[in-house]
Amino acid sequence: MDKKKVFIVEDDEFLRSLNAKKLENEGYIVAVAVDGQEAIDNIPKELPNLIFLDLLLPKVNGFDVLAKIKADPTTKDIPVVVFSNLGQREDIEKARGLGAIDFLVKANFTLDDVVAKIKEILK
Amino acid sequence: MIAGLVFDLGFTSNPDFWIFVVFFFIISFYFGYFWRSRESRVKWLIEQANLKTQQILELEKVNKEMLDKNRELYTKELELTMANKHLQSLEDAKSKFISVTTHQLRTPLAAIKWTLDMATKGQLGTVNDEQKKFLGKGLESTNRVISIVNDLLKIDSIDEEHTRYEFHPADLVKLTEDVLFEFHNQSEIKKIRLNFVRPEASIPYLDIDASKIRIALENLVDNAIKYTIEGGEVAVIISDRRLNSAEGAIEVSVSDSGIGIPAGETSRVFQKFFRAGNAIQKEPDGSGLGLFIARDIIEKHGGAIWFKNRLNGQGTIFAFTLPLHQKKV
Repeated sequence: MDKKKVFIVEDDEFLRSLNAKKLENEGYIVAVAVDGQEAIDNIPKELPNLIFLDLLLPKVNGFDVLAKIKADPTTKDIPVVVFSNLGQREDIEKARGLGAIDFLVKANFTLDDVVAKIKEILK
Repeated sequence: MIAGLVFDLGFTSNPDFWIFVVFFFIISFYFGYFWRSRESRVKWLIEQANLKTQQILELEKVNKEMLDKNRELYTKELELTMANKHLQSLEDAKSKFISVTTHQLRTPLAAIKWTLDMATKGQLGTVNDEQKKFLGKGLESTNRVISIVNDLLKIDSIDEEHTRYEFHPADLVKLTEDVLFEFHNQSEIKKIRLNFVRPEASIPYLDIDASKIRIALENLVDNAIKYTIEGGEVAVIISDRRLNSAEGAIEVSVSDSGIGIPAGETSRVFQKFFRAGNAIQKEPDGSGLGLFIARDIIEKHGGAIWFKNRLNGQGTIFAFTLPLHQKKV
């Protein structure tokens, strides 16, 4: 069975490495970006099966990254889960409006929850 | 004397003379009349002119007063607009502060939570029971802090004394759908069924402050899920009270198959910071603010909120009514 690739866009080094380590342990290939510009540059190259996208990012913010990914025909069908510590109504609605399939507040979920979510989406 | 002269001159026998005399009297009578009436007409005209002048002077005076008042009003309006702009920028600064702070607090909190979670589960190396216990306590405390941060966000948006309620027609059914969408992750993870029972016939838009009602409903659904064990069920039902009562209101109920509310504590359920004993046991994290906030919101809408224990089996039903229209202030 093909290994699935998950792309993580997260500027906090510790959270990013924890997340990546966890997913690798679970058998996923992991690619990362530490800011919005890296995400825009590398996602079309990596073509992952799923993207975890933070919102508050340096250089280009998550909303703009999301819009860009959804506008690019090569990447627009990749499911994007917004994974942020913002969580106000407007943020959730904006993300949904831009095409995110889900919105998780980091502090409200454990990494096991994240893995369960990935399994469900990539079923 | 003139009459005597006239008589003596022999005119009196001439009929033409008398015609002339009569004519003369008639003419002088009318002449006098017209002369006097001209005088009085002139007098009347002068009086009218004076009156008009007076009125004009008065009107001018009133006009000037109005202009002055207008100028005052204009200045006040400018002041109000400036005050409003200032308030708005304060609000914006506050919102920004809140969202930046919560983000900044949540990021390290997420890191601590994930680390402790992984450690407790033995994913960072074997842990003995004692270590597991302590790590677990650390995780609980972390979750409590996270829960408080989440509630702070909600409280800020409804600071009771100072907050403005703005009522606009809104689709309550769609609002409920959106709220339930927010909880589908949580309910899936806890293996709890979330049911939504829509009203039998479509209901009109309600005059509500949608963002506040959202918070109230979220608090009820959050409680329902929190206090129900795995495999349980939470149902949200919207019904039109106009169908079987004189009330112009819509009722929303949230029922769960959870731990219920102990008999001795029912009267305190809506109090600020109150958490029932069994609630604290089931879910150590919680601020005790959810119902307090929800009640405040519902009452500000002119509605009522209450709960009752379910008759068959365990669990609780929380319900609130919302009037269709708000009284104009």
